[in-house]
Amino acid sequence: MKNRLRILRAERDWSQADLADRLQVSRQSVNAIETGRFDPSLPLAFKLAKLFATPIEQIFTDEE
Amino acid sequence: MNIQLCNKQLSPLQRRTMALFGANLGLTAVFSLATRDLFQQAHPSTLLVYLAAILPTIPVAGVVVVVSRYLTRETDDFIRMLVVQSLLWGLGITFVVDTYLGGLFANPQIFRLIPILNIDLFCVSVGVAVRIQLWRNR
Repeated sequence: MKNRLRILRAERDWSQADLADRLQVSRQSVNAIETGRFDPSLPLAFKLAKLFATPIEQIFTDEE
Repeated sequence: MNIQLCNKQLSPLQRRTMALFGANLGLTAVFSLATRDLFQQAHPSTLLVYLAAILPTIPVAGVVVVVSRYLTRETDDFIRMLVVQSLLWGLGITFVVDTYLGGLFANPQIFRLIPILNIDLFCVSVGVAVRIQLWRNR
């Protein structure tokens, strides 16, 4: 699954640690999601959508 | 709030889990040594031997409870996944080494250098596996 997390984060000038703090997860989690090594749970995906004020499908796309 | 499994920034849950994990590990060692001494020096009855042998298993059960409580309460899915993977690595390493040593010590010519407890091996393996996983995902 691909995602636009890195772009969305860069637009806001947030570091991975900043985003991790806002999501209340580890920086490693943010890094793993960004690099596509880990797909977030549904609650975390909704949290991301809420944080970026963007629909989930605009953050994550079902592509390899 | 910064949840990380590194020494400096452990969450309260992780810190408490590590403390309880270490305490149970220490108790396992103490109870194992105490039981061994009891068997060697006091020569207890068969019934007492069976009962005393249960003693070191109590902290082992404690480790299982501590880990399961941690996995239930950890809110970071990714860290939970890393811990579960590390636990599987720990189990795998313990089974492999235990099977190897079991076969090796079946030979009476092989001298047992140190008594290695499976729980110690498991805990060390899990600890190393967690470190490697965190390093790979740094």
